[in-house]
Amino acid sequence: MDKSAAMNEPILAVDNLTKAFPAGATPILNGLTFRQEPGQFVAVVGPSGCGKTTLLRCIASLMQPDTGSVLHRGRHFDNPPPWLSVVFQDYNRSLFPWLSVRRNVAFGLRGSGANDKRVDEALRAVNLEHAADLYPWQVSGGMQQRCALARSIVVSPNLLLLDEPFASVDAQTRIDLQDMVMEICQTMSLSALLVTHDIDEAVFMADKVVVLSTRPARVVEEIAIDLPRPRDQLATKETPEFLQLRHRVYTLVRKQAQKLSR
Amino acid sequence: MTARGRYITPLAWQAATILALIALWQWAALTYPAVYLPPIERIAQGYFQIWHGDLLHSALLPSLRRLGAGFAIAILVGCVMGVVLGSLRSLDPWVRPTIEYLRYIPAVAILPASLIVFGATDQMRIFVIAFGSVFPVLIAATDGARRVDPILLDVARAVGLSTAERLVRVVLPASLPSIFSGMRVALSIALVMMVISELIAADDGLGFYILRNQRLFQTANVYAGVLTIGTVGLGLTLALLAVEKRVLSWHRGWRGLTETGRG
Repeated sequence: MDKSAAMNEPILAVDNLTKAFPAGATPILNGLTFRQEPGQFVAVVGPSGCGKTTLLRCIASLMQPDTGSVLHRGRHFDNPPPWLSVVFQDYNRSLFPWLSVRRNVAFGLRGSGANDKRVDEALRAVNLEHAADLYPWQVSGGMQQRCALARSIVVSPNLLLLDEPFASVDAQTRIDLQDMVMEICQTMSLSALLVTHDIDEAVFMADKVVVLSTRPARVVEEIAIDLPRPRDQLATKETPEFLQLRHRVYTLVRKQAQKLSR
Repeated sequence: MTARGRYITPLAWQAATILALIALWQWAALTYPAVYLPPIERIAQGYFQIWHGDLLHSALLPSLRRLGAGFAIAILVGCVMGVVLGSLRSLDPWVRPTIEYLRYIPAVAILPASLIVFGATDQMRIFVIAFGSVFPVLIAATDGARRVDPILLDVARAVGLSTAERLVRVVLPASLPSIFSGMRVALSIALVMMVISELIAADDGLGFYILRNQRLFQTANVYAGVLTIGTVGLGLTLALLAVEKRVLSWHRGWRGLTETGRG
């Protein structure tokens, strides 16, 4: 592979991914294919229980697909590559209760104490400097999720995987976190893959929305979201373009959900 | 009633109960003099002799050394094996039946065998103490390791930790609350095994001290030795609780919150 080919390589290429879990059961993912270009923000939406988390675990190389492949810049990994970070869904389960906020963030650097500066930067990026010495269970849900976010960006990753990261916080915190994640992705020129069931969130944050079918999940449609950036929670969401895109995604997801209930 | 008053009153009752028991003993000892009822002052004299001078070096310290070594080995082996077994489920069918069988052997039963293997040595006594107290730690560590939230292990993998690093930095700390409760059980067993191991072919230690004084009909010293063992047990338990309180301060706070419905 020559150099220019490597440059054009998508940061993530999911090809014909199939996964049954547990092994031998009806597949959860069935021939799923999509790709993500460097710097792109991709949101994956689908009816609940369609296998989004399984997909994310396969993409993170925490789980190997049965068939098909997940390539990170053209390469296969048995374990999560170092430039990939994951923010897990349950913030109160994904933080180490015996470590302070600061040391939870430092855990992203495999806990090496030599990188105080990078930890400080990550804490600053999520406005958590003042809570650095508290334990995660001493701070609010939104702060816990910011701590998890800081832990994932402290390594300066290229690709950020977000598994419904705003699912269990209140509406206002959710909005703040969305803005924070978009800003971080912009300033760090990060590619991000957001798995969510929230269509507004997907359309508002992403450059491309990948709509999944019901189980076994495959890609129903990829929709480019060409809304200008920076995006604003009020202004962007009031534009006819946003409403149109939202309508389109919503219709697709609802069609899938109706199939499920039939 | 003030908070202080509420605290002091039970304390006063407790002190009064102990004093009453001592007084009852002393009354009985003076009223019915018998070889098994020595007066309090003779027991007290024996007791304090154990805590300094020659007896300290020939009775108390050897016992504490054995207890410390045996208990430390039990903690080390129990934690390492427990964390590994609890994490690597594939080992379970191979190792679990053996452990489940061994744990039901009372450690006392292996005393004669270990005497043959090790002779009348410190190693024999340390082995018996360790064997007796390893199982509560091992079982607790295994259970703790099994209950580690899989998301935490995913986080550790995503960050790039190796299997060994995950065991040390995620599974072990997450299992500590369970391990500490196992250690409390193990400590009392270790104390029992310490005494028993010193009743056989010993020439020092608290067990030997009690046995020798019994043969010499020095009943006051026998009771003094027994009381010393009680003191050692109490002191070590309190020390263990203090360490636990310090090491697991996060756990009480965390559990306190998750149990009140925030988690």
